[in-house]
This record gives sequence, C-alpha cells and structure tokens, in this order.
Amino acid sequence: MGLFDALRVSASGLAAERLRLDVIAGNLANANSTSGPDGQPFRKRMVVLQEAPAESGAVSGGVRVAAIADDPSPPRRVYDPSHPDADEQGYVTLPNVNPVGEMVDMIGASRAYEANVTAMKAAKDMALRTLDLLR
Amino acid sequence: MEIFGVTDILLGRALGGAELRQRVIAGNIANVNTPGFRRSDVPFQQSLRDALASGDPARVGAARPQVVQDATTALRADGNNVDVDAEMARLAETQLLHGAVAGLLRDRIAMLRYVINEGRR
Repeated sequence: MGLFDALRVSASGLAAERLRLDVIAGNLANANSTSGPDGQPFRKRMVVLQEAPAESGAVSGGVRVAAIADDPSPPRRVYDPSHPDADEQGYVTLPNVNPVGEMVDMIGASRAYEANVTAMKAAKDMALRTLDLLR
Repeated sequence: MEIFGVTDILLGRALGGAELRQRVIAGNIANVNTPGFRRSDVPFQQSLRDALASGDPARVGAARPQVVQDATTALRADGNNVDVDAEMARLAETQLLHGAVAGLLRDRIAMLRYVINEGRR
C-alpha cells in the first residue's frame, strides 16, 4: 500500500518541478524576443499547480499541472526607432519577462525538485527495509 | 498462547503508520509550490500509545492512523503552509522510526523461526 503510493506522489512532484524549470528556461531564452510565430512579442508563461485528487481515502494524490498560463502583466515598451520591430512612434514592445525573477523561481524549483528526490529515496529505502522482513 | 502477541500487532501497526506518514509527507513536499495547499500529518503514535495502554490486542489491531490537515501554522501569501525544512525533518524522523520498527519486527520473526525450529539453526 503506502510506500509505492509515496513513490508516485514524489514522482508527480518531480514532474511538476521539472516542467516549471522547462517553462522558466523558455521564459529566460525569450526574454528579448520581440516577435513570435504570431508576430506578437513573447509573453511570460507560468505553470499553475494543483493538488492531485487522491485515488482512495483522504490522502493526497500528489501534485498535477492544471495549466500553463500566460502572465497577463503588460509588456515593456522601450524607445528604439532603429529596431526592425519598432512601431510608428519608435517604440519596441519587449516581453514581460523579468530575468532576475525567473532566476529566483528557477532556484526555488530546483530546490523543490531536490526535496522530492530526497522524499522518493526515503520511500524507496523504507520499502526495501519492509521487504527485508520477508527474508 | 497466540503466536503473534500484542507486541507483534503493535509493531505491524506502527510500520503501516510510518508508511502512511511517509506518503503524506511526500504529498506535502510535492505540493510545496501549490497555491492554497494545506499540509497534512499522521499523528498515529498517540492513538497507538492509548491502544497499547489498554493491553488488548484487538484494540491495538483496530488502531488506525489518521490523516489530519494542519490549519494552524502560518500561511504564506499564496495560502500554502508547507515548510520544506520542517517536512524534511519529519521525513528523517519517519524514516528512522520505520527502520527501528522494521528491525524489531525482523528480530521478533527471527526469534519465532528459532522457536519453530526447536532451537536448531
């Protein structure tokens, strides 16, 4: 029962935190992208996490990704008339990505990933100890 | 005389309780970045202690670990009250308790096997 569920719960945490790292990497890579496939400047993306419902009983089933949403905050506007993507007034619309904020989120996601690894290792060691009782 | 006495039943319950607690702590850690998430815990040692005090194997066997949501600790701005450091401490505690109980249970089983073999090794 419990310990294999604990492995699954930790695995859901690992998947969620790695997705956050992927999305943060995408935000950082596009911090200066003034136009995307749709011609619009890049918008910062955010991972929306949600507690996963338990399969049975009142215990949590881990975490799941509810959505990857665009940050609604306004883009930055910089005066740079020589830029190819500048508008008639000479302003360039830059993504609403704050690289420093992304770095902070990245460290948080990386630490949370490590915590999930530790929890998973503990569950594995405990399962092996319980299986040792059969020997 | 029963082959499995109150001690064995207690150890089995404690092992199951530690496994459930591990799962709940893993859930807390997995949800460390989930807005609005409230951490849970399994305070099963108290219910086991009460059942053990009665000395009744049936009561010990019936003692079930409960999952309790913790609404008392301070919340972060996003409504989440998971403290990773505290969860890691609880994780280590649960792992050590599980190891101790598993060790005791293994010794009990070894002793039982010794008796069944009439002392032959």
